[in-house]
Amino acid sequence: MSSATTSSEPSTDGSEEPSPARRLGTLWLALAIVAGLALGYTAGLLTPSVTAPGDDSVEAGFVRDMSTHHAQAVEMAMIMHTKAQDEQVASLAADIAITQQGQIGTMSAWLRDWNLNPTGEQPRMAWMPNSQGSLTNGLMPGMATPEQLTALRAATGVEAEKMFLDLMLTHHLGGIHMAEEVVDLSDNKDIDWLAGTMVASQQREIQAIQVIKTELPAN
Amino acid sequence: MSISTQGGPERRPSVVKPAAGAKPNSPGDGKPARPSGGKGKGPRKPVTPVKVAQQRSWGPILLFVAVGVLAVGIIGYGAFAVIKGSESWEDRAAGIDGIVNYRETDPGMLTANHKSGPQTYKTTPPVGGDHNTAWQNCMGDVYDAPIANEHAVHSMEHGAVWVTYKTGLPQDQIDKLAEKVRGNEFTLMSPVDGLSNNISLQAWGYQLKLDSADDDRIDTFIRALRINATQEPNAGCSSGVTATGTTPRDIGGMQQGS
Repeated sequence: MSSATTSSEPSTDGSEEPSPARRLGTLWLALAIVAGLALGYTAGLLTPSVTAPGDDSVEAGFVRDMSTHHAQAVEMAMIMHTKAQDEQVASLAADIAITQQGQIGTMSAWLRDWNLNPTGEQPRMAWMPNSQGSLTNGLMPGMATPEQLTALRAATGVEAEKMFLDLMLTHHLGGIHMAEEVVDLSDNKDIDWLAGTMVASQQREIQAIQVIKTELPAN
Repeated sequence: MSISTQGGPERRPSVVKPAAGAKPNSPGDGKPARPSGGKGKGPRKPVTPVKVAQQRSWGPILLFVAVGVLAVGIIGYGAFAVIKGSESWEDRAAGIDGIVNYRETDPGMLTANHKSGPQTYKTTPPVGGDHNTAWQNCMGDVYDAPIANEHAVHSMEHGAVWVTYKTGLPQDQIDKLAEKVRGNEFTLMSPVDGLSNNISLQAWGYQLKLDSADDDRIDTFIRALRINATQEPNAGCSSGVTATGTTPRDIGGMQQGS
């Protein structure tokens, strides 16, 4: 150490700046690495909460509204399932009830993952531009009115089956409209995937409904 | 190795030079260096080279401070966002002025057995307890006549918020309440005879009594507790009793219309 001291003596002024800087450089490098790790760790921790859809987001609005929309489809399907005489109608009703209830579960799990409440502060359909006119008495596109549900509960036989098929066809058209909109509006992979499957499968169900309707006996 | 080489030779010449050079950058550091040098005490001289080193590191210091401030800012924002975002629904409910939390004050009454026939409840309207096998349909149903407690309690077990109002409440108040309920699954609404207040909101274990349908605590209550208060996550609200009447119906007497 002391010998090194003398050797560098002549260049006191010139080498003064780089060498302490180099000693400190090691320290700074260590600190910078620690700081970088801390920053990276923090960013990693925060990224999910920052990138998750917010309370007023298109995604949250769609998930909440589609859950409600689905819940009514489940309700109508369950009403029909208990009294359908036609096997195709009974099977269709079971398919709709189980599928849509399962999708409600998926969507409500997303809300939990995003740290969001099942109930939002925005009105129904607020996530969809220019959609306020699509609400009828607070009900979203395609949804049956309380009076229609009461009539469906009261109906029997083929009349009930045809009523159910008509209500479900309208219901699906409304649901497809909402799902297509969210595919356009959102870049969320999960949302696009589920909404995409809703569009495709409900379109197939509409075709099935139209076929079944022609096969039901005239009343 | 060169680090230590500087310390030795610098002692004499650099005591003055760096201290003077330090002044413009850091008067605070430069000042103590001079008095110590002026006293001419040998032992103190080694201190000054350390100061020399500090003078040269202002660039990195500023950079580090900038990075540090950024890091603290990010961490601070993150902590704020996480704390705020993760506020539980229980905390949200606890923040509602006037809400009663029977889960804390009287958990013993919140049993959940399925029993047929009429049940007795400690509160009016009830907020939990043994109930009928059938639940009251809670798909945003607005009932225009009293319903059976035994069914409504089962609905709340499934996560429904039960909005009740005193029989005879003015129609405009009823309409305002109905607007918050109709079409929204996991809510239901019905009148109750002789209710102590104009309005009473119930979820499993929670109750809030109010006097006006314009009270904004109604929305807050529904937002905090609807679905969240469930005892059976993902249980449904459809396929329940849709009839009114305060006598509980056992399975088989369901779906009687009205």
